[in-house]
This record gives sequence, C-alpha cells and structure tokens, in this order.
Amino acid sequence: MLNYNSPIKDSKNYSEIKISEVEPTVKINLRGKNRDFITKIGKELSIIPPADPNTSSGNDNLNILWLSPDEWLIYSNNKIDQKNIDDLEDKLYNSISKVKIGSVTNVTDHWIMINLKGSKVFELLSTGCPFNFNKFKNLKGAVTQTLINHTDVIIHNKNNNDLNIFVRRSFSNHLWSWMNDSAKFI
Amino acid sequence: MSKNLRIANSKFIDQTSRISFKFDGKTLYGFKGDTLASALLANDIHLVGRSFKYHRPRGIMSCGSEEPNAIVQLGNDPSMTEPNTRATEIELYEGLEASSQNCWPSVNFDIGAVNNFFSPLIPAAFYYKTFMWPANFWKLYEYFIRKSAGLGKSPTQPDKDIYDHRYIHCDVLIVGGGISGVMAAKTAAKNNLNTVLIDDKNILGGTTLFQQNESFKINNSYSNDWLKKEIESLNSLKNLTIKTRTSLAAYHGYNYLLARENLTDHLNINEKKDKIRQRLWKIRAEKVIIATGAIERPLIFNNNDRPGIILSSSIKKYIDYYGVKCGQKISLFTNNDSAYETAISLNNSGVIVNSVVDIRDKTNSLMVKQAEKLGIKIHWKSTVVNTNGYKKINSIEIMKLSDDGVAVIGKKIKEECDCLGISGGWTPRVHLFTQSGGKLKFRDEDNVFIPDKSELNQISIGSCNGDFELDEVIKNSLNSTNKFLNVDNNDYKNLEIISSKEIDKKNIWLLPSDKPMGKTKPFLDFQNDSTANDIKLALREGFKSIEHVKRYTTTGMATDQGKLSNMHALGIIAETAGVKMGELGTTTFRPPYTPLTFGAIVGRNVGEFFDITRKTPIHDCHVEKKAEFENVGQWKRAWYYPKKNEDMHDAVQRESKAARDSAGILDASTLGKIDIQGSDASEFLNRVYTNAWSKLEIGKCRYGLMLNEDGMVYDDGVTTRLGENHYLMTTTTGGAANVLSKLEDYLQTEWPELDVYLTSVTDQYATVSICGPNSKKILSKIIPDLNLSDDEFPHMSYKNGLIDNIKCRVMRISFTGEHSYEINIQSSYGKSVWEKCFEAGKEFNITPYGTETMHLLRAEKGFIIAGQDTDGTMTPVDLQMNWIVSKKKFDFIGKRSLYRSDTIREDRKQLVGLLTDDPKEVLEEGAQIVAETNKKPIEMLGHVTSSYYSPNLKKSIALAVVKNGKKLKGQKMFVPMKNKTINVTITDTVFLDKENKRLNA
Amino acid sequence: MFLINCPYCGERDQSEFSAGGEAHIVRPKQPTELSDGQWAEFLFMRKNIKGVQLERWNHAHGCRKWFNMVRDTSNDKIHAVYKMGEKPPIK
Repeated sequence: MLNYNSPIKDSKNYSEIKISEVEPTVKINLRGKNRDFITKIGKELSIIPPADPNTSSGNDNLNILWLSPDEWLIYSNNKIDQKNIDDLEDKLYNSISKVKIGSVTNVTDHWIMINLKGSKVFELLSTGCPFNFNKFKNLKGAVTQTLINHTDVIIHNKNNNDLNIFVRRSFSNHLWSWMNDSAKFI
Repeated sequence: MSKNLRIANSKFIDQTSRISFKFDGKTLYGFKGDTLASALLANDIHLVGRSFKYHRPRGIMSCGSEEPNAIVQLGNDPSMTEPNTRATEIELYEGLEASSQNCWPSVNFDIGAVNNFFSPLIPAAFYYKTFMWPANFWKLYEYFIRKSAGLGKSPTQPDKDIYDHRYIHCDVLIVGGGISGVMAAKTAAKNNLNTVLIDDKNILGGTTLFQQNESFKINNSYSNDWLKKEIESLNSLKNLTIKTRTSLAAYHGYNYLLARENLTDHLNINEKKDKIRQRLWKIRAEKVIIATGAIERPLIFNNNDRPGIILSSSIKKYIDYYGVKCGQKISLFTNNDSAYETAISLNNSGVIVNSVVDIRDKTNSLMVKQAEKLGIKIHWKSTVVNTNGYKKINSIEIMKLSDDGVAVIGKKIKEECDCLGISGGWTPRVHLFTQSGGKLKFRDEDNVFIPDKSELNQISIGSCNGDFELDEVIKNSLNSTNKFLNVDNNDYKNLEIISSKEIDKKNIWLLPSDKPMGKTKPFLDFQNDSTANDIKLALREGFKSIEHVKRYTTTGMATDQGKLSNMHALGIIAETAGVKMGELGTTTFRPPYTPLTFGAIVGRNVGEFFDITRKTPIHDCHVEKKAEFENVGQWKRAWYYPKKNEDMHDAVQRESKAARDSAGILDASTLGKIDIQGSDASEFLNRVYTNAWSKLEIGKCRYGLMLNEDGMVYDDGVTTRLGENHYLMTTTTGGAANVLSKLEDYLQTEWPELDVYLTSVTDQYATVSICGPNSKKILSKIIPDLNLSDDEFPHMSYKNGLIDNIKCRVMRISFTGEHSYEINIQSSYGKSVWEKCFEAGKEFNITPYGTETMHLLRAEKGFIIAGQDTDGTMTPVDLQMNWIVSKKKFDFIGKRSLYRSDTIREDRKQLVGLLTDDPKEVLEEGAQIVAETNKKPIEMLGHVTSSYYSPNLKKSIALAVVKNGKKLKGQKMFVPMKNKTINVTITDTVFLDKENKRLNA
Repeated sequence: MFLINCPYCGERDQSEFSAGGEAHIVRPKQPTELSDGQWAEFLFMRKNIKGVQLERWNHAHGCRKWFNMVRDTSNDKIHAVYKMGEKPPIK
C-alpha cells in the first residue's frame, strides 16, 4: 500500500492559540459563469455557491468559499477517505466539466488546511498579514484571500476565533514554522 | 570631582532606585526614570562628543529626538553595539554602557581638534574642493577622511536581538500624547472610534506634564495637575490603545504609517533576554491626527556651540521633570517668552539665574511680569556676542543691539555662568505632515511654517499646527478634532483657562557680533558643523536653490536631519538673497523621522525566515539521501546527491552515466502545472503556443513554446490532452506563477469570449520521473497491468494508472533523450511512490539525480532551458527551432513580431553548439566568444549559455549564442579567459543520439 | 502603500496587487495585416503620463481578476476603479 503523507502532521498549543493541520479534507476548485452552473452545483451538493464576495455557504459536511466571481472552493468539514474524494470529484466533473458549463478540479492535495483556534488568533495574523480583520472577525463564514508573510492564503472564518487557513502544500512547512515562531511572541 | 546636581524632590524620578551605568569607561549613577542625558548632566558631565568637521567639544543640547550633539555609541558587544543613538532618548538601565563618538583618542583630548585652529581653511564643501585632484588620489584621501570623520562604529557580528512586525488597522491614529493628543484621543475613543494613541516617550503628557506655573491654569488647577487627571481618565476607555515608547517613523500616502515601538531598550540586560526588542507597527488609519508639538529653536550667534549651551525648554525639563540642574549659575538668552518660564522654574528650584538676555525692546506679558516680580534681571534689546570656555562654557559677553538689529553698540558686559539657556522661538514639528505630501504655508508674524493643504484624511492640532498658547491649543484642538471626527465632545467646552500670552515678537536669524563675520563661528548645523558663514559663502558662490545650498554645505543632512538648523538656514538664505521666506519654500522632509534600526525594518525575516522556501512532497527523501539543494525561485530542489568523498563534479558524472546506462530517478514536482478546461481549450492553446494544437489526440502530449508579444521565447513545457475539453499544461519551475498570470490576463482582457478555465494544480501532484534503458522494466513492476509496448504507449502519450488503488497519470515524455516516464500522483502519495520506484529499481541500480545532472543530460541532447539558454532576446528562429512555429495558424502570441525588420535580421545571435579543441577543457558559462584575438577592440560575437563535461560522450560540450551562428557551423572561434585563450569549434546543438534512437530503447 | 478598492473584493492593501501598465491598449485583431510601424505602436509605445492615467491592475493575491484604475501619477491619488470591458468613468 502507498503511504499517505501530509506535510505537517502536527498540532501546537500556545497561550490562547492552537495551531493544527487538519487532514485529509476534500478540496475541489469550481469555476463557472452562467446560471446553469450554479443550479447544477446546487442540485448536486444541496448548497448554492455564494454570489457575494468574501462569503461562504455550507452545511454540516461541505463549505463553498467564494474566491472570485467565477471561482469557488469546496471543502469538507471532516476527514474523508480517498474513495469519497474521487467519487465527489467524478460526480461534479461529469455534471459540470463534461457538459461544458464550467470546470471542476481536484485540489485536495494542492491546499493544506491549517486550523487556528483561540482568542489571540487575529493577533497572530497581524504579525504578517496586511488584511484588515476588524469586520471580518465578527462575520461568521467570511472568506478572504490575502497574504501571510508574503505567502498566498485563503482564510475562512469558521466560527468565533476559529479559522481555517488554506495554503499551497509547497509553502505549508515554511508558513507553519513561521506561524509557530510568531505564536511564541504573542 | 563631580557634583551632585540633583534636587531633592523630582516627581518623575524614583530617587530610591539607583542605577549604575558606564560612560566612556567611567562608572556613574543615575535613577530609574532618567535618560542617559539627564543622568550625565546630574553628574555634571556636559562634554559628550566632538563635532564632525572641526572636532570642537560638544555637549548635550536638548532633551529629545532633535538632539544634534549627544550622539553616543551604545554597548560594546560586537553584535549588539549601536552607533548614533541620542543620549536624550536613551532610558537609563542597570548596566548600560555608552561612549562618545567621533573623537580619538578620547573626548577630552582629541587630535582632530587641530582642525578647529585651521577652520578658516575648511570652508563649506572643503572636501569637495580640495580632494578633487588628482582624481586617482581620492582612494588615499578617502581612507583618512573616513577614519577621522567616523560617526560611530557599526556592529561587526549578526544582531542577536529579536524584532517583530505588526499590522494594525484603526479608525483614528493620534501621533503625540501631549495635551492636545490626549484630548483628541479621549474625544475619539469616547465616541466609539477605534483609536490608537502613540507617543515616543515612556509616559504621556508632553511638556504640559511638568508645566506647574501660575501663568498656566485650567479650572483653577495647574495645567499639569489638570492634564494628569485627563490622562488617568483614558484608562477606562475601551476603544483606545495607547502605545508609549513608540515613535512614528514614516507617514506615507493612503494613511499608511510606520511606527517603531521600543519594548526592551529600557530594561536591564537580563530582563531583555528572549524578548522582542523593537516592533515595527504598520498602521493603516482611517483618520490621522498629528499632535507632535514643536521644537524649540536655538539662536545663531558667535560660539553658540559650547558644552553647557542648552535649549532653554530643555533646561526646564531637566529641572522640572528629572530634577537635574544643568548648572549652578545659569544665564538665559531669548527672543521670546518661553525662556522666562525656564527662569521661573529654575528660581523655584533654588538655582541662580544670572539674567535673561532678551533681544526684544521690552515686553509686559503675564509671565515676564511674574519673572520680574521674582527679581530676575533682564538685559532688554541685547544680544550675546560671544561665549567663552573650551570644554564648558564659563562666561558670556553681552552687548546692546542697534535699532535695526544688524549691529551691536555700547559697552560689552561679561557675565560668568556655567550654563546658557537659549531660545529662538518655536518650530512646529511638521515633518510627518510634509512626509505625507502635505503642503506648508508660512506665517510671517512669528516666522513658522504651518500645515496648509493635504490630500489625506488628516489634521494637525496643537503646537505642530502653530498654536503655541495654552488657551489656543485647547480651544483649537477641540474644535478641529470635533469637526474632523464629526463628533461633539463637550467635555472641554467650558474650561476656565489662565494662559500667559506672548505680546511682542522679534526675530533675528543671525545675531550680530562685535567681531567681523569671518572671525565668528555662529553654528547652524551642530552635527555636521556648518555655520551661518558657510551658507553665506555658498550663496556668494552662486547657489540659489535651498536644496542645492543644503547639499553643498551639508546643512541639515546629519542624522538629526536638521531638526534644529533648517529654519535658520532658510532664514539666512532668504535674508541674504533678499526674498521672502514663504517664497523660498523648504527642503523636503523624508522618512524616517528618527533613524530606524535595520533589525526593526527586517523584523523576523532573518535566518530560516529570510526568504520563503517551497518544498516538494518528496523533499524528505532527498534530505535522507544527503542531497545538496539548489534554490530555484523559492523552491529547494535536489541539486546532486554526493556519495562519500564525492564532490559535485564526481556526483554529477556518476548520476549522468547511470541515467543513460541503466536508470535514473528525478523529482520533477516543481514544474508548474495548470489544469485547463472549457470548450475553447484547444483554440486557447493555439493562441498561446507557437505550434498547432487542434489535432492533438486525447491521450497525447505535445511540447509547446510560448512567446511574448515581442516574439521572444518566454516559457516552454509539455501539455497533455486529458479529454475533449481538458488539458494539463506544464510550465518551467520558475515561470509557473507568471505564465498562469499572463494566461489569465489574455483570457480576462483580450479573449473574454473564450470558454476556458485555468486552475493551478502545481501542488496537487508530485511528479516522479524515471528515465534510462531500464525505466520500462521498473514501471512495469510498479503498475503491472499497464501495457507499456511502444504501440500501445508510445513516446509523447499518457495513460491513467492505479498504484495500489490510488489514481495516477503516467506521461511518456523525455527531457533527457532517454526512454522515460513521468508519474503524476496526488502529492500526499508522492513520497511513497518515489520510495516504491526506488525499491523496484534497486536491481537496476536506479540512481537519483538532481537538477545539475538533468541540465547536463538535456544539454547532450541540445534541449534548451528557458531562462538559461534564452534571456528574453531570443526568438524561436534564433534558437533554430523553426519547426515549432506554425506557418498555418492565423495568429498566436508574438507571431507578428517574428517578421519585424529586427527579428528577421540574419546576423542575430543564434543558438549553436560548441566543442573545445581540447575535449577535457570545460568552458565557463557566460564566457565571451570572439572570432579573432589580435584585433582591438575585439568584437564580442556571443557567449556560452550552458557548459558541461559529458561522461557519456567523454568530452566537454557547450551551448552558446553567437552572432550569425547558424551559418558558422564548423568555424573555429576563441574563448578568451583571464590566463589563456580556449579554441573552440561551432557545431550542431545536438551532441548525442541525433536519431533519437534511445527514446524507444 | 496604496489602499486599492478591488471592484470584486473591496478595499485591500497594495501588496495584494500587481500593476500591469497602461490600460485600453487593445491587441489588434489582425496583427498580420499591420506594418512594422503599426505593430510597434501597439507593442512598445506607452504614454507614461504625469497626471491622470488609466492603468491596468491585477488583484494577484486575491481574486486574480484584472481591472482598470484611474490614477493620478503625480500624487498617487486613485480616482476610480472599474471592471475590464467597462468604459472609464468621466474624470
């Protein structure tokens, strides 16, 4: 059997900040422009991709994050096995990409999900992120794409002081070390 | 010898906690709350340094960031020592060590001081004028000048301190915690605005904090008592963040500001450990209120630079705040009322005030009357014409001013003193306002530049806005703040304010002396040692613009950026040139307001965080195999895998041979990968690549070359057709992000009609490349049910496969010329697949190879690397790759540029192969190529772009770009090196297996 | 450091964006029919105005969308942003 290897496999606690890698959750990138695309996604997943910038929609299993007017990221709340990842990708690919109403791309391994929890998570982000979190921090479900220490990230405000951060796998070790180093000084 | 100049009751100094420190090797004592300057003055030490040019003794002159003289070297640890720090801003801590700068061998006996006696020979721009000729002597001059002029020593070891950055976003930022800043902060925070108040001192309050004077009262309390209560009331405000010891460094457009917070500089050495020393705040504020106060001006008169000559308001702070007497018998010299406030404070603390020399005829303000009532002697309409005392002032000479103020008359009076307080009026601190692009206006009545227009959402309040009287400050600050924040704070509306008003104003920029000008030394810029005479000389020599005069005389160009000298320089220029100051304008104030440490600028981006690093999913395997790594963009790529005792050359030779003889394995995960979907995907590829894509069958791969619109090669890679409307494009490692962004650009702006979606999948897949004659056998062990026959799975095609039930894509493509496969699998399984290939390849001695071997192998085949063999000036035709440029396609990016008059020139530089006559001689990449060696100047025909020793061909090979190279095949050329000339022959670019037999071997 | 109002994501720090030069230079539909001079006009010639200029910007580290901006290059004031394909708002 092939061994599954995530890049971080760790969880750390600091005063009022917990940083941990969550794996594996399915991640699928969706792109599309017309109404058919939105309807089809709604039908397949029972969630409508949000039309409002910087927001998300979701249910107990899945979240859909707005990335741009024609791009969304789906991710699951819970760990999910390989078969279910493939099935979800195939289902969406066949109903969207195959019929030429958009694109469906499996990015499960492209993005690494790091969870930040605790009352000082926004302080941690302020050490390297130019984004203004003043409103964001009180908006449950808010989404932003920005930079943390010069690295591209997607941030999903899952709950009060509970954030999911998506970073490209190749950058994840560096960002992880950097955030842990930052957390020491908060 | 040293006297104790501390008075018994000092409110802000804790005289129960004594601190020992060292200055110039001598152990001294101060108290908690002292600055280095106040502690030195308490020990009767005025002389702290030597001036820059004449090495004149200089003493502490102020109590803040404007200090030009008391510039000291802090600490002597080679990694922590810090030059050019202001003693007036250094908070005293146990164990502090500081020393004077710019003096040798010591501050008391300085050899350079001989310059002082030759000073008539060292006028403005002396160095420029004297050391110009002969030109090649400058190296010699520079050595000695630098040695004698040095402003402190840089640390020689890496900084051990920790620094940090923080972003902060607020509704209102208030810079300056004096009386107007505190009022504004309270107003903002009470009205639910998210407010940040910063101040560079350790406590809020500014100068009002120690202003206890009958002439300044608010609601029947002294102004300081009233303010103290206001500051206490700030504690209960939830929306307010107060940052003390935080100095604003820069104010940029869009209300983006940088402030440096000192977190541990004031702590004992053992308390500093493992803590962040300084933090740089990156502030984005909706609104900015500048309340930075004003700087007291010196007066410009003969010998105004002696130790013991101190700004009058600073003397007041030293006595009222630090409880330190700057002298026992103090004289004051002024053109305005503020020196009287100092006189009253000194008198109240029992210090003898000899007299106040006032250039004004007479004035009757509340404060002057108060001073007169105390019996303080005043010399009206008089000036100080000279001071005496070498290492410290011991007397002043006073004379009456003529009615027009340009000459002195009457008898000279000598007055003994050990300190002289000077006050030339006040200059609003408009530095931040102008840094942000604000325009100033000149107010004639008291000769100040005050803020006028700004494009930004900001106001200036208090004395930085030109309000100098207490009642004005309070009323105007309140009105401006309310209006600016659109709120209505009534707290301060009905205050009863007593405030002495300055009635008479008079100003003389350069005070006259009884000596001729050439015999006087009226210093303007104390740190850079330029005098009023230098300015006048510059004007006589024809300089007109203030910016030019500043650079020629270096006035205002020292580490204090002329905080004390600029106004007088302008005044003297205006006066001499006969123009109005308002018309002359000012020099530009640039950030930082006070010098920043490099540490604060860099923050935590040092060591392992110096730059972002990217790692492939297989990285750990390379570490295990002891690979050396190469930086490719931000990626860490395995460069080569040295075995015991192998150097890079040995390892690469071994790896290259193994890959051709049996099997090699490469981590190609860093290649950029773009998933392309949409009904117009084929058409899109037609437009972005030079070759045709419509007829590529599903399951096949094709190499593509991408140009810029100017026709030059931009990137290349293999693209695979996964489905009818689905492609997977690969790009070079370094080009990935730019290619995606360029393609998105075309889709969004030029061809929005195309139905195409691009998604980066670079990190989704790990790519393991196995190559060599045994690669097929290895793959068949890993994916046994895949038919690997050439008919079923030919070169340039792909198959889906399963490795232990995990989906993968196998491309049969080759960058080495060998039979080879690239396995693309989800990154999480990349490491495992690499290990599996290794295990399967063991019997074939499968050899991991790095980027260096990859480059060598492809060079043997004459394959280009975009970015190494191309440099943005090579067309496909220059690369002899005409075969990849479609003639049939109507258009593609860069097509039109391929037949511009310049790109069709025959004598462009073209890619060729090079063989050295001596097969063992390996050329240097970048070496120049010439046709003849005798002619001068030699025409450079081109240069070597790639060069290796090929173990498979057993000779040196190289790729090069050579002018008209295509036609020069077989010609001899020369590569001149430092010690020899290498003979080479131009050849074809393909050195190995021209028939491509190995691909199917 | 500008504060740029991305027409899709709202106000963001300049570090999230990259600049793409002068706006409204349309790629010729039939480049092959142009003379060297006409092609060079499209390829090389840019106005580089001191004053109000129309520019292309990309929200590179956000939604990755390109858009246009009206910016005064003399004082960096951004007067407006508008989407690709839209006409510049009147200055």
